[in-house]
Formats: sequence, C-alpha cells, structure tokens
Amino acid sequence: MKKIIALLLAVLMLASVLAACGGNKTTNDQKTTASGDVFQGEDNVTLLVWAPEAAVELTQQLCDQFKSEHSDKNITIDVKPQEEGDVAAQILNDPSVAGDVFSFACDQMNRLDKSKVLDPVPKADDKLGFDYAGEVKERDSEPSVEAATMKGELLAYPETGENGYYLVYDKSVVSDEDAKTLEGVLAACRKAGRKFNMDAGNGFYSCMFMFTGGLELQGLNDEGVQQFNKYDEEKVIDSLEAFANLFHEYSDIFQSDNVDKTGSGFAQDPRSVAAGIDGSWNAATVKSKLGDDYGAAKLPTINIKGTDTQIISMSGYKLIGVNAQSKAPYTAHALANYLAGEKCQLARAEKLSWSPSNKVAVESEVVKANLGSMACLEQAKNALPQVNIADTFWAPMGTLGNYLVKTKDITRDGIKTEFNKTITNIKDE
Amino acid sequence: MKYIDYVQLNPFQKFGYNFVKFFKALPGNLKKIFLAIGNFFKKIFVGIGKGFAGYFSRFVKGDWATKCSYLVMGVGNASKGQLVKGFLFLLVEVAYILFMVFFGAFYLAKFPTLGTVSPVDENGRRVKGIIPDNSMLILLYGVMTIIITVLFFCVYIANTKSAYKAQQTVAEGKKPIGFIDELKEFLDSKFHVTLLAFPTLTISVFTILPLIFMILIAFTNFDSDHNELAHLFTWVGFDTFKQVFETSGRASMGATFVELTEWTLIWAVFATVLNYILGMVVALMINKKGIKLKALWRTLFVVTVAVPQFVSLLLMSQMLNVNDGAINTLLCDVLHVIPQHIDFLGGDPLVARITVIVVNCWVGIPYTILITSGILMNIPADLYESATIDGAGPVKSFFSITLPYMLFVTTPYLITSFVGNINNFNVIYLLTSNLQNSNDLYKAGHTDLLVTWLFKLTMNEHDYNLAAAIGILVFIVCATISLLTFNLTKSAKNEEEFS
Amino acid sequence: MIKSYKIRRVITNIFVYILLGGLGLIWISPLVYLVLHSFRAEGLAQVDYLIPKSYSFQNYIDLFTVTGGGTNFPRWFLNTFIVAIFSCIISTLAVMMVSYAFSRLRFKARKPMINIGMILGMFPGFMTMIAIYYLLKAMGLTQTLVALVICYSAGAGLGYQISKGFFDTIPRALDEAATIDGATKNQIFWKIILPMSKPIIVYTVLTSFIGPWTDFILAKIIMGSKIDNYTVAIGLQNMLAAGKSLTQFKMFLAGSVVVAVPITILFLVMQRYYVEGVTAGGVKG
Repeated sequence: MKKIIALLLAVLMLASVLAACGGNKTTNDQKTTASGDVFQGEDNVTLLVWAPEAAVELTQQLCDQFKSEHSDKNITIDVKPQEEGDVAAQILNDPSVAGDVFSFACDQMNRLDKSKVLDPVPKADDKLGFDYAGEVKERDSEPSVEAATMKGELLAYPETGENGYYLVYDKSVVSDEDAKTLEGVLAACRKAGRKFNMDAGNGFYSCMFMFTGGLELQGLNDEGVQQFNKYDEEKVIDSLEAFANLFHEYSDIFQSDNVDKTGSGFAQDPRSVAAGIDGSWNAATVKSKLGDDYGAAKLPTINIKGTDTQIISMSGYKLIGVNAQSKAPYTAHALANYLAGEKCQLARAEKLSWSPSNKVAVESEVVKANLGSMACLEQAKNALPQVNIADTFWAPMGTLGNYLVKTKDITRDGIKTEFNKTITNIKDE
Repeated sequence: MKYIDYVQLNPFQKFGYNFVKFFKALPGNLKKIFLAIGNFFKKIFVGIGKGFAGYFSRFVKGDWATKCSYLVMGVGNASKGQLVKGFLFLLVEVAYILFMVFFGAFYLAKFPTLGTVSPVDENGRRVKGIIPDNSMLILLYGVMTIIITVLFFCVYIANTKSAYKAQQTVAEGKKPIGFIDELKEFLDSKFHVTLLAFPTLTISVFTILPLIFMILIAFTNFDSDHNELAHLFTWVGFDTFKQVFETSGRASMGATFVELTEWTLIWAVFATVLNYILGMVVALMINKKGIKLKALWRTLFVVTVAVPQFVSLLLMSQMLNVNDGAINTLLCDVLHVIPQHIDFLGGDPLVARITVIVVNCWVGIPYTILITSGILMNIPADLYESATIDGAGPVKSFFSITLPYMLFVTTPYLITSFVGNINNFNVIYLLTSNLQNSNDLYKAGHTDLLVTWLFKLTMNEHDYNLAAAIGILVFIVCATISLLTFNLTKSAKNEEEFS
Repeated sequence: MIKSYKIRRVITNIFVYILLGGLGLIWISPLVYLVLHSFRAEGLAQVDYLIPKSYSFQNYIDLFTVTGGGTNFPRWFLNTFIVAIFSCIISTLAVMMVSYAFSRLRFKARKPMINIGMILGMFPGFMTMIAIYYLLKAMGLTQTLVALVICYSAGAGLGYQISKGFFDTIPRALDEAATIDGATKNQIFWKIILPMSKPIIVYTVLTSFIGPWTDFILAKIIMGSKIDNYTVAIGLQNMLAAGKSLTQFKMFLAGSVVVAVPITILFLVMQRYYVEGVTAGGVKG
C-alpha cells in the first residue's frame, strides 16, 4: 500500500514539476498525416494573431474568411492589437505568450532571427507536400522577399510592399509644383506662416540625410556588425550640411516632432501645419481632415552644392511571421500564408492604403487610385530597402538628426565629428 | 572646543560644527565601518562553529530516539509523545527529499555550467527533437533549490534541538509540552513568528530570491547575444564589471558610468535639498500667523500629490514640448516673455537637466508641505520671539532656528528621500525618455540616472548582465551614503537633546 | 513704533498672499489645463493655443464606449480597482504586522531583520523585474490580475519604517498594563494597538491603494499584449505612443481626469489622517 502511495505521490510531483517548468517543450508530435495536408493533422486549435491597432478589425474579418474556407476544421482565431515597432521587444520578453502569427516591421528581422523565434516558411525540402516558400517567391516582389530572407532562408511572409514615408501637404498652400523641391515646400509654408513637420530625431526618418549623400547599407558581417558601401565622406557631409543649413534657414517654420504632429496640425482650426513627412499608417486620418486639399507625393529634391538631388529615404516592409513556439505551427503557417496572399493584400490596400507586395495586386485599380500608396511606391524607387539592419542603427542615427536640426551655429567640422561618432556607434565599437 | 563654548553657539553654528566634525572623523568612521563588517563575519563564523559543536554534543548526549532523529526527522519528538510535531518534521523531510529527487537535483547539477545542451546547432538552426537546456531557468531554479536547502537545513537543526529538549524534559520527569499548547505560544511569547511568517515568506520569494538571481546574473554573460531563447549563457566572473568600467573607444561604458554617476549625485542633492527647503518655506508661509484661507492654500498644493504621478508627468512632458507645448505657448506667444520657443527637454542638456529638477520641485514640494507642516508648528514660538527681539529678519530666523531644528528632527526622512531620489525613475523617464540620447554616451542620454540607464539596458537592449552590474553599483553608492550619513546623525543626536 | 510694526506686518502678509497666489497658480494650472482640454471638441492631438475653442463630452463618451481594438477603458478601470482593493488589504495587513513586531516585540532576530530590510531597500527596484516575471511564469500567473496583486503586496512588508515610527510613539505602559491583566500579545495587537492607530492605518491604506493606479512598468511587463487585463496606467500611457496619439490624445486627457478625480477626492477627505500618520511616523523613522 505504502509503495503505491509513494509511487502515486512521485508521479504527481513529477507532473506538477513538468507543468511548472513548461518552457521545455518537445517538438510537435507528428501524427500520421496525409502528404499535402497543410494542417498536418492539426485540429481544434486556437491561434493568437497580432496586428497593428488600425488593422485589427480588418484582420479579424480576413481571419473569419480563412475559417469559413476551412469549415471542416475547428479553428478559433483571436486578433489582438500590437504595435509593429514593438513586436520584437514583446516577443523576446516571452515568446510563449506572444502571437502565433504576427505582423512586424522588417527592421526587427535581425533581432528576431538572432533569438530564433521565427518559424521558417515551409519549403519543398521539408517534404510536407506543400511549398509555401515557393509560392511566396512566385507571387511577391523581389525586394520584399529579400527583406523576409535571412542567410538564404525565407523566415516570414511579405505583407506589404514598400511601406515608407512620403510628403503630405495641404494643396491650398503648397502647389504640386512647390512639392517637387524641399526649398519650394519650405518657402510655401513660410509664405502661409504655417509649419513643416518631420521627425528628425527618429533614425527611421533622419537616415535620409545620410542616404541622400550616397551612403548605403550593406547588411551585416558575420559578427553582426553593420556594413556600409564605400561612400565618399565629403559627399555625405555635403548632404548633411545642406539639410542642416536649410532647416536652420527656415527655423521659424521647421518643426521636428513626433510624426503624428503632422496630422494633428492639419486637424487644427486654423491648420497649423502646411506640409510634413508622414507614413501610410496615418493616411486615412490625414485624408479625412484635409479633404480636397489632400496632397501626397514622393519626397522632394534638395539643393546640394547647386544641384537638385533627390532625397533618398528608407523603405520598409511589413512582414507576417509565425512564432516558433506556436502550439499549432502548420495552421499558423496556413493562416499567415493566407493573410499574405493577393486577396488580403488588396483588401488592405483598399481599407488601409497599405501598398501591396503582391505582383498582381500592385497593378490593380484600387492601388493606382490611392494617392498615398502611389506616393509610397514612387518614393520606393528612391529608397534603400530596410533589410538586415543592426539594432544599433536607430538610436545613433536619431541622435545625428537631432544634432543637425537643433545645434545652433552648426559648422562643417562639427557635423563631421558627429557623423563619425554616429558611424562608430552604429558599428558598436 | 570645550563643551561650554559649544553650548553658546547658535543652532546653525552647532550644525556647522557637527558637520565639520563629521568630515574630520570620516577616516575614523570608515575604519569603524570596516571593523564592524569584519566583526560581523567573525560573529557569523563563531556562531556556525558553536552551532556545529552543539550539533555534535547533542548527538553524543542523546538517547537512541534523539540519535535516530538525526537521520529520520521527528523520531525523537514522536517517541516522547509529541506525535503531531514529530509527524510534521517527518513530512518536511519527505517533502524535501521528493523535491530534490524530482526537481532540485536536476537544476543543482546543471548549476555550475548553466546548461550544456544548446537549442541551436553551429549553423544557428534550431535543433529538433531534443530538450534543450535553458540557462535562465537553471539559474533561477538553482537559486531556488539552494534557498530551500538552506531552509530545510534550519528545520533539520531545529529538529535535533527539539528532540534533545524533549529528551531533557522527560529526564527531568516532566511531560513534554503538547501540540496545542505549543501552538498557543505563537499568540503570545512567540507572537513575532506569527506576525512575521507571512511577510517574510512573500519577501523571500518575490524580493530576496529575484535579487540573489539578479546579483548572480551580473557574473554571467546573459546579454542580447546570449539570451535564453536560442543560446546558453555561462559564468564569466568579473568580466561584466570590467566591461562597465571599460574606458577605451568612443561612447565607452566607463565614461558613461562616470558621467551618469556624477549627474545622479548632483540630481539627488538638488532634488532633495530644493524640495526640502522650498517646501518648508511654502509650509511656513501657509502657516504664518494672520494668513487666512489656510485650508485652501494647502489644498491647492496637495492636489498634485493626489493626482497619479505618471498622469501629471506625462501631461508635463506634453506641456513642455518645444513646438506646441502649453508652457512655450504661454511664455512666448501669449506673454511674450521669451523671444522664441525653448526646447526644454530635447535641447541643450543643461536646460533639460534644470527643467527636470524644476519639474521635480513641482512634484515634490507638496510632499514636503504635508510632512513638515505639523513639525513646524511644534517649534517653540518663544524661539522666534526672542530672535525677533534680537532684530533677526525672517531669512535669518529661518536659517538660524527653523532649518537647524528641522534638520535635527527630520534627518532620517532626508536620508530616505536622498536614496529615493538616486532611484527616482518616474520624473526622468517620463519627461526625457529618449530625448537626450547622445552619441557620446553608451546607450544613454544626458539626463539619464543610473537607474534609468539600467532600465534602458534591460528593456531596450536586453543586456541583463550589464544592468545587473549597474544595479549592484547603485546599491554600493546608496549603502555607502546611508552608512556615512547615519553615523553623522548618530553623532549629532548623542551630543545633546535639542532645546 | 507699534503702528509701524503693524504696517510692516500687513505688508509682509500682502507679500505672502501674492507669493502664495502665484505659486498656487503654478501648481494648479497644469491640472486646470488637463481638465479644460479633456473637454476640447476640436483638433486631434495637442493644439498650439491655451484655451479650447469648443467643448463637448465626446472624449469621455469615447473613453467609455470605444472598447474594441486597443482600448477598453471601463475594463481597465475595473481591473485597477480590483487589484487596488486586494493589494491594499494584503499590504496594509503585512505592513501593520511587520511594524508592530519590530516596534513592540523583542526577539533575537529583530536587529538582523531590520538591517536586512534596510539593505533590500537600497537595490534599485527595476533590477529584479525580469526575475519576478519568470517566477510568476513558473507559477502560471503571467498576464493575470492575481500576478499584479502579488507584485504590489508581496514586498509591502519592507515599507514598515513609517508605521514603526508611529507605533514607537505609543507608550509602552499600555502594553505592560494589558499584560498584567493577562492579555496575550495577540490580543494587545488587535484590541489595543490597532484601534489606536487610525491615522497610520489610513496612511498605509491610502498609499497602497494608490500604487496600482500609478505603476506602468511592472504591470506592462506582466501583461504583455493581454489588453483586457491592462490597468489604467498602462492603457493611458499607450495612448500617447507614436501612431496612436493622433486619434487617442484627447481620450488620454479624459482618462487622466477620470483616474485623478476619485483619488484626489479620497485623498482630500483622508488628508488629516494622512498628515497625522506621516508626521508621527516619518520623523522618528
């Protein structure tokens, strides 16, 4: 009798201990599955999907469509808002409670890969009977696929095409002609006594100051250190100086603040902002506030040493990833693949003005009629894709931007010193 | 100085005298502190030695049951009729053994290496079909196992003592105390055990255990390149501290640490002293004879204490915005006091530092008003009267009567608020979070305190080992300051009671 | 002589009134600004003028009715209230027990325990948050309100200094008399000391009740993306995030008012006890 009780107790303890340290999960049990079954026998699954707040409602609808297409399966899908910029930080804190399927900005790819929290997209080699990786490479634009690839392996599904920022302006103040040059935009703003807003203290925007001078990013080396092209330092400094001088010249109307302040300035009565740099995520709100005066275009040119130079920006992609710790990885992949497909991309282009990465969708009327999407796609031709960027890139870059617009009596030497500091800090030396 | 001279000094001079004396005595005090620490360890070792001596002598003197309970806990008590107690001891032993066999031993065995089975292969691909080690869980549960073992050891020693005591009681011909009676003791002579048991348990689990864990983290390489999700981490000795004091290269950690420590101390001094003195001045004004509507004035200030701090500080950060903040609008566009908008938080580091100190006054002065009002009323009125007769103005009587009196009474409060300000997170983080970031500092800004730097390294960079090392250094700074000032107040208080 | 003294006093009083008035204005105006703009009808985020041009209740209506997506203020308010109540009860009990034991009882471990308490207080609190998270995870409590209650009340016993100071001021003769009458220490604690300690109990209740309304760091780490279990502090702070502030800034203002008003009222009503408790206990330390 005692032996039995002891045994029982031991088993109980073991069970509770295993439950307590649940982190150590063995691989998913492979049931006997028919080849080609995308679910690999998974059923009765609950998935958590993370989408940015603006897209939650639409994503829930799309997920419901996915469910009705697979009505033979019992799938519950819960969509929760999670800002894309914060996804990596949230997941790395505890992947076991993160979304099974999540939308994220591609600059976080590196961090996510380093911690192996992304489940690679199933490919032909996996011998599962289906080849999502092949489908993705077939249907999505090359740079977007590249953004989702690390060391030759496709790790996520492209959700949008170039998802950068562009120039938005109040047509009643800034004419389409003015909007072609930064000098023109600023002069028109000054004439109306209204502000021009951009977030120069944020690396995502301020990197344009360097890129316009010919600096390019070239991925990471084996130690994870950011690599650059062989840039001409004098030219980069020329560009930085041109931006700094121009903004100082217009210091009465140039404002460096949170990107939301552009839209908020348009919403004021009377409007306090005449133009600004903003992204597609605020497009709907801005459009509704400006009405017929809504103007959107690619970034203007800036005069550097007498030549009008197109501003080069950074364009990112939104990607959909699958959590490597998901309890139902195949259903999660099926859903991610569905959400990244043509139909869903078109729905997002229509409702959220997100430009598609899908080669067919990008040619559709919906996209062509959307000013914001078009501006995005147009600017993308003059943008460096945000691929494979070190974590250490953003903060020093933002600091450089702040330095350029906020330092009084700025000198070329000063800029040079700060630029070199920025490069060393990005390389984390 | 002779005692007679000392008594004739005014209170302010007395304080000054004590202050100077304190610094003169500083080397001696430091020596005393080290001696005290030495004595402390000596005591511990002597205690342990005595404990072992007692442990063995009890075994030698014990009867068969007492001896038996050295192996099977509770036998001694049970054989003397204390069945429940004996059974409880046995239960503890069984539970501990089961815990060790099924849980503790595994983690304890891996503790020295913090795990060997990596979740990824050399190409960085996740290996399927294995149960990888998780260094963080090994460390956490390892610490837990060690703590539980120490606690078990205490119970074990208590068991041998209890068995021996029961044996003695029986030898004296008495009946050992019953379980119910023993329980009753916990409501009277052992009431402190009852009171402290629950808080001690929760503090051990949620404060001490995590703290030991984090202190150990400082001696590992648990950082963003070795996080527990895809990598193992391991012991690296003092390498992390070397990294913190590394001074080569641009934006080195060593230089950052020095600058932030300086600023932390400057901030703590200003935040504490300004709040204290200005708060007292306002409290004096409110409580001044002949001022009406005292309740109204007090309420005006105290409302800011009641509004949750993060609300008022987030609001402040919006109001201090350079472009459309209310304060710039008011000063520049409405009142035309300043020619152009001032970038309070994102511009010149000096301006930002002054701004955070001023905002901290706005937050902190009402607290001082609340705390000091009552004490200020206690200052004997005749002290002021005689000062007025001597021709002292309000400023002079503040510095010669109010301040020394208050300093005398509220030094403990001052020390706590000084330490609190060193760790004052909200004001700095909510006002300037990333606005003061600099390319000359390692992942920090000019207004960052050590504690906000620690937070950034943890949450943004996931460099847990660096954060832990900084936490330990902050502790050393706080502990040194408290120990020194504590000695100062002790010497001041021993001098004489304030008249 | 007497007349000039009187005039001088009137002048100083006028001077003090002006100073108090000015300072009072500085202290209260941010809150007035908050309340005014929480009713602002026009604009989206911050505006570059001081007085709103039109007023409406829309921000408050939005606050309580928009519950989809990333906001659910009514739920957050309820969560915070529940957490505050429970952690307030547990913390108050813990603080009273610890401070009574340290103040009135004498036992061998007293000094070492006081010292350990002091040492623990000198480590920065944020240092341990990751460890606390994993402990809670091991217990299966992450993303729950129970975890928050535990976090806010587990370490409460360490904040015993002020109430210990208060208990120190109660004459020991009381205990001795009761002991002679045959009361146990348990009875003395519950029947004699606690009823006499209203100010310090109110003080402790008040501070521990306010805690959950203001913490936005630990709560955020524990809750992660579980929006339904957020407390008001995390929710409100999130409303100011870039990309959200455009549509939610005014809701943030309204939400801040909704959180601040009840606490302020509670505080003003209880102010007398708070002051009594803190002055009696805070000074002696």
